[in-house]
Amino acid sequence: MSIIQTKDVKKWFGDFQALKGITMDVAEGEVLVVCGPSGSGKSTFIRCINRLEQHQEGQIIVDGIELTNDLKNIEAIRSEVGMVFQSFNLFPHLTVMQNITLAQIWVRKKNRAESEEKAMELLERVGIPEQAQKFPGQLSGGQQQRVAIARALAMEPKIMLFDEPTSALDPEMIKEVLDVMKELAKSGMTMIVVTHEMGFAKEVADRVMLFDEGMLVEENTPEEFFNNPKSDRTKLFLSQIL
Amino acid sequence: MVDLIKKNAKSLQESLFSSVGSAVLTIATTYLVINFFRGMLGFALTSDKDWLAVLNNMQLYMVQAYPEEDFIRVWLSVGLTFVLAGLSIGIWRSDDRVKSSQVFNSFFKGGLGVLFFTIIAPTNASFMGNDGSVITEEVFSMDTRLGILIPVAVFCVIFFSIRFTNVKFTVNSSDMVFFYLFIPVALLWFVKLPTIQLDQNNERIIPDPVMPIADTTKIPWTVIFVSFLLSYFIGMYLKNIKSIKSIMSLSWFLLPLLIFSWIFKKPQIDMSVVLGSDLPIFGVFLLWGFLVITFVNNSIFKKYYSTYLGVTFLLTLVGVFSGLPMLAKTCLLLIALFSVVVPAVSTSSQGKRSLLIVWAVALVTLTFLLRGGASDTGIVVPGSSIFGGFSLTWLLAIFGTYVSFPLGVLLALGRNSKLPIIRIVCTGIIELTRSVPYITWLFFASVTLAVFLPAGVEFNLIVRVLMVTAFFSGAYFAENIRGGLQSIPKGQYEAADAIGMSPFQKISLIIMPQALRAVIPTLVSSAITAFKDSSLVTIIGLFDFLTIGKTVIGNQSIPVNFVGHDRENLIFVAIVYWIFTFTLSRRSMKVEKKLGLGER
Ligand SMILES: Nc1ncnc2c1ncn2[C@@H]1O[C@H](COP(=O)(O)OP(=O)(O)OP(=O)(O)O)[C@@H](O)[C@H]1O
Ligand SMILES: [Mg+2]
Repeated sequence: MSIIQTKDVKKWFGDFQALKGITMDVAEGEVLVVCGPSGSGKSTFIRCINRLEQHQEGQIIVDGIELTNDLKNIEAIRSEVGMVFQSFNLFPHLTVMQNITLAQIWVRKKNRAESEEKAMELLERVGIPEQAQKFPGQLSGGQQQRVAIARALAMEPKIMLFDEPTSALDPEMIKEVLDVMKELAKSGMTMIVVTHEMGFAKEVADRVMLFDEGMLVEENTPEEFFNNPKSDRTKLFLSQIL
Repeated sequence: MVDLIKKNAKSLQESLFSSVGSAVLTIATTYLVINFFRGMLGFALTSDKDWLAVLNNMQLYMVQAYPEEDFIRVWLSVGLTFVLAGLSIGIWRSDDRVKSSQVFNSFFKGGLGVLFFTIIAPTNASFMGNDGSVITEEVFSMDTRLGILIPVAVFCVIFFSIRFTNVKFTVNSSDMVFFYLFIPVALLWFVKLPTIQLDQNNERIIPDPVMPIADTTKIPWTVIFVSFLLSYFIGMYLKNIKSIKSIMSLSWFLLPLLIFSWIFKKPQIDMSVVLGSDLPIFGVFLLWGFLVITFVNNSIFKKYYSTYLGVTFLLTLVGVFSGLPMLAKTCLLLIALFSVVVPAVSTSSQGKRSLLIVWAVALVTLTFLLRGGASDTGIVVPGSSIFGGFSLTWLLAIFGTYVSFPLGVLLALGRNSKLPIIRIVCTGIIELTRSVPYITWLFFASVTLAVFLPAGVEFNLIVRVLMVTAFFSGAYFAENIRGGLQSIPKGQYEAADAIGMSPFQKISLIIMPQALRAVIPTLVSSAITAFKDSSLVTIIGLFDFLTIGKTVIGNQSIPVNFVGHDRENLIFVAIVYWIFTFTLSRRSMKVEKKLGLGER
């Protein structure tokens, strides 16, 4: 049973067509890695899934709800789908604890004590419970990204989207974030991860996709994708990146 | 101790005389500063300067022509403000401790300041008499000089050397506020100065008898100080009550309205209007709100909610331009806004109950304040306004900020809105108000505004001035805030969207706090400008603080002749303005620090 389904999704920025008809689906509990050259529409695509961008043609169905202009649907989907950004996007004026409890209190309407308990639980899961009272500006990049993951998880989403979560990090911090993501994948979360970390893709992904110029060029299991790619575009891409 | 002095001397040498250029600069600046203050002091001390022109007219300065038998109302306003301030300081009591050495140090510095002025004060001063001739006279005799110099020097030495003793303790910084305030209040009782006294024929008794400077006001001030202190303790006691902080913030918002509409105004209440019009309107709207809250989750009502909202807004629009009583119009506006908020807030039955309480309290407050504001005043003063002098300046400043700040926030958001109609209207309002001088707006308020208001609506001149002021400084606030909004990265909006926040939550919890924080300095400078610009109301015949000093006292000949003494008064006015604006800017610096602006 697929939890995300897209049918022929097309998206234009002005005259420029960023997505040229993407059809795919993701099963519950699946980990999908999306890669591709810069400007190929990876970000645009996963941002369409929680409606940070609007697609103009085609269909996106998340957990049985179709994304339309209906505000109610959008809010419902957004609270089912967590998102982690390349630049963390933590709220700098709030402490780590407040960052994580905010949505629980205001969107889920839980009480404070309950949400703080949940937040501590999540901070332990991502390995930084001692940073709860600090402000994001006082943390390292890797710690910030782990807070961002905890913040997204606090909504108890069914799906997690990652848009190049490690690209803004120093090499030694990449591992700590990837470890958290691996743990998350093993726990059965449905994940779509845009990344250039091929190690991660080989180890955890159930499927790998390659985007190029707004099109889905290849869709394959990790073994096949890396060892025996179907398309020449993939071969070229892999030769550049590995 | 010797070491310390050596070290200080060395650092002084390094900072002031590090090179030939800086040595020359230091000496030249010192020379200029000393001469400037010499001139000032000479001017201040000459017998030609009658500082009693200031002291004797305090009442005029504060409330202009407010009748003496109703002064209790003025004191009540001041007292209430202080009580609220005391409560707030107690509730928000900081845990910062001030070291005793810091306190002694500031006393030491104060003493040095006095020493400086005593030493440089000129013995003789030349000044221009009122007839244009130059007179030279002794203004600061050696005896007086020594009489001040010696005790102050002793005082300085004590506070300097106390650092090297074992007297070391810390005080809570909030407690210090009371200590510092205690000093002027105590001085009211002890410092005596020549005071103008009149005999039965209204002739000035010469020489002026020496009396405590604030003979008539020392008792009220003492009472106020004591209540201030008491409420501080009460505030500390109340500290842990849930939601006390939001109640306090709300009280701060309501207090000026209460003062404006009830305390200062002494409204003449017509009971027949209260019973015949206010109560029924109140009842209808209470019921209306109650119905909305009860049925908000009902599926049929939910389905037609947007229709209901549209109808309500239409009714409001029609109502505002009709001949309905003021209360009904305001209630209509309130219910329209309330209806927008209700679905977002009310879910559980408990949420509904608290919402109902909020609605009832808001309605009661509104009805109460509006009745006071709309009734005739029982205060009889010559001229057009019961507010004058400092009370007017203060009123304009407070309302200028209270009304224009939220307005500025709304205008800034509107200008950034995606909906073209809202954006165009907001941009229009901002550009229109900003591009016309404030004085023009004041004339507009006094002469033309009545033409634009719907028939049957009439406002007091002060209210009209407040209206244009709100828009004028609101436009400036809006532009400042818009600058702050632009500094928020797009990622913040997206992050808020991604965790499922509603647009309202996104703006009020994520975007606005950051935007405001980024523009605190500009916001404060706009507020300061608005405070100072309030003196322009003189041009439409209102008597603000400055006008009292310059025009009223400067032309005062009965009962005492103060004609030509406007220079002293101008200095006094300048100092008062300076004290307020300086305090404001210092506070804003503290707030900035607290929010850790520089930290990131
Ligand atoms: N808001 C926008 N307005 C106009 N064009 C945009 C916008 N966002 C993206 N684009 C264009 O759409 C194309 C796809 O962008 P996208 O960010 O999805 O690429 P990407 O695959 O994520 O690249 P990268 O690996 O560099 O992040 C790019 O050519 C980009 O220039
Ligand atoms: Mg991208």
